[in-house]
Amino acid sequence: MKSTQYSEKTLDHFRNPRNVGVLEGNDVAVGRVGNPTCGDLMEVFIKVKNVDGVDIIEDAKFRTFGCGSAIATSSMTTEMVKGMSLDEALEITRDDVATELDGLPPIKMHCSNLAADALHEAIKNYQAAVEKEIELPEDVPSAPSCIIGREEFLDRGVYHSVIMDIDEFEDKRTLVLHTGDESIDMALELTSVTERVILLTPAEMIHTTEELAEELANSSVKVLTQSRLLEVRGEFEVERVLVKNLDEDEDYELHVDAVVIID
Amino acid sequence: MMDEVYLDYQSAKPVDPRVLELMRPYFTKHYGNPSALHSIGDRATEVLEKSREKISRFINADPGEIIFTSGATESNNMALIGYALRNKRKGNHIIISEIEHISIRNIAKYLEREGFKVTRVPVNLYGRLDIKKLERRITPETILISVGYANNEIGTIQSVSKIGKLAEERGIAFHTDAVAAEGLIPIDVKRDHIHLMSLSSNDLYGPKGVGVLYMKKKYRVNPLIIGGGQERGLRSGSENMPGIVGMGYAAEITQKEMKKESEKLEKYRDRLIKELLEIPDSYLNGHPTKRLPNNAHVRFEGLEGEALLLSFKDKGIAVSTGSACTSKTLEPSHTLIATGLTHEEAHGSLQLTPGRFTQDEDIDRILDATPEIVQRLREMSPIYKPKEKMISK
Repeated sequence: MKSTQYSEKTLDHFRNPRNVGVLEGNDVAVGRVGNPTCGDLMEVFIKVKNVDGVDIIEDAKFRTFGCGSAIATSSMTTEMVKGMSLDEALEITRDDVATELDGLPPIKMHCSNLAADALHEAIKNYQAAVEKEIELPEDVPSAPSCIIGREEFLDRGVYHSVIMDIDEFEDKRTLVLHTGDESIDMALELTSVTERVILLTPAEMIHTTEELAEELANSSVKVLTQSRLLEVRGEFEVERVLVKNLDEDEDYELHVDAVVIID
Repeated sequence: MMDEVYLDYQSAKPVDPRVLELMRPYFTKHYGNPSALHSIGDRATEVLEKSREKISRFINADPGEIIFTSGATESNNMALIGYALRNKRKGNHIIISEIEHISIRNIAKYLEREGFKVTRVPVNLYGRLDIKKLERRITPETILISVGYANNEIGTIQSVSKIGKLAEERGIAFHTDAVAAEGLIPIDVKRDHIHLMSLSSNDLYGPKGVGVLYMKKKYRVNPLIIGGGQERGLRSGSENMPGIVGMGYAAEITQKEMKKESEKLEKYRDRLIKELLEIPDSYLNGHPTKRLPNNAHVRFEGLEGEALLLSFKDKGIAVSTGSACTSKTLEPSHTLIATGLTHEEAHGSLQLTPGRFTQDEDIDRILDATPEIVQRLREMSPIYKPKEKMISK
């Protein structure tokens, strides 16, 4: 079966997805699975109501970044669970979702797996929240000193100081670590000589002055949040970096030509 | 049902009706085998050599340097495996770029398994190979450099003549897979210092199932297909006469019309790029100017390419994407990753390649449809975050 040979029902759920959106409130839980790096990320929201001592899913919604079957399976899953008890919903398997869609191409079965997983995740989160309020740990701030390769590639693509010949960076993919407003200034200045400037921060958001925030938002700087630089790699000079996505707890390689770390 | 809009000429092209007309009698009336000594065979030989001449003129080669194959994949196999086997006494090192077509990538992997050493040279943010980075990777063992003339995905054109000159100075053979570039920009094997080159017929609006390996005089490869000794013993098997006639004529037509056709395609390309980049958070992939006249490659933040492709399919528009979900391996495009994109960015790419039969209305239709599709997919995406939301004052 070709990857695009979907059943009519799957195509219908892709074209007219049911229950797109988010839910909010104390009686809502969300399950988040997948990984944008692999091309799919799903969020399933459930709203739970206790009826005669049984927890019933009153409403369900989803948001999905993913291929056609990722969207269709999310849509179908949210349709299937409405009105079910949490115990019933926990028994929904990936095959059930695929069957409801009149089948999926084999290569796409993992998508239906994800939708069921997101649902189960949401249910578990709901049950955990009922038992006790869980506080998520804060992100640990960046520690640029423990980057592997930082010294090895010094002046061969790794730069430490602010004052430098900006023209040296012409057309270079430059990764700037967010270490304060100086680093934002640097990133913005670099956009005059290269189209690819990445500002990397382990935080969920970059906090800065109103002026810099506006300039940054309107610039071509690519902002990568919740990301930490682990290693600088290359054969003769900086060619790649290893980045950790803190949100997904996954490492990936990014091709860059220069790394700027202003301590 | 409205007519299909086809903007995926990079993946396959229709045969030009003029080419098909000329090919037709070679299936029934002119069925001769060039190897036969009777007059029907002689006439076939004449036609075979005429096609060879047409193709040699198209790339400024000599007819004796043209070997007919079953397509560009076979030509690539012959160039890399055939050359490596023939010259293994001189060295065992081969250099390719990080953005080669999958056919070259997999041949290189095969050669590694056979004991050759392969180095992959990085490219810059536009997908251009840096000559200095290439030069540093040359060793005394290097026997062959293979770099595509232009990239089949993002359309970036390489500094081919500089690479060829460097290879020549170092006594290394230079092969280029010219499939993405042929018929769109002038290729001159002498000017470009090319020693081995793969061409496909379909990319010139000729039939599929036929291609060419250009091999400069004094360069040698081991044949991979052994048999009756056709093509000077380099490629056995009875000649695919209708295909060869078709490819020869396709090259002749393309040579005459390329300048005008590429000007038309450039207008389409520039309009597509300009208007698609008006959509918020969209960016151009590939080089702003050193790109094929038919290639528009744009990425949209926060959405996934297969969903994009399916949405266009519903509107009767055929496009291509860099998304993993459309590939057999579920990996995102290695080319986009090599230019420095994150996986998420690579997933959200749209590749548009208009061609000979594209009309103004086709461009209108895709440009009309795109903003709405992008908006719809972004609305349901949990990762689409306009940049303002990542910054707090």
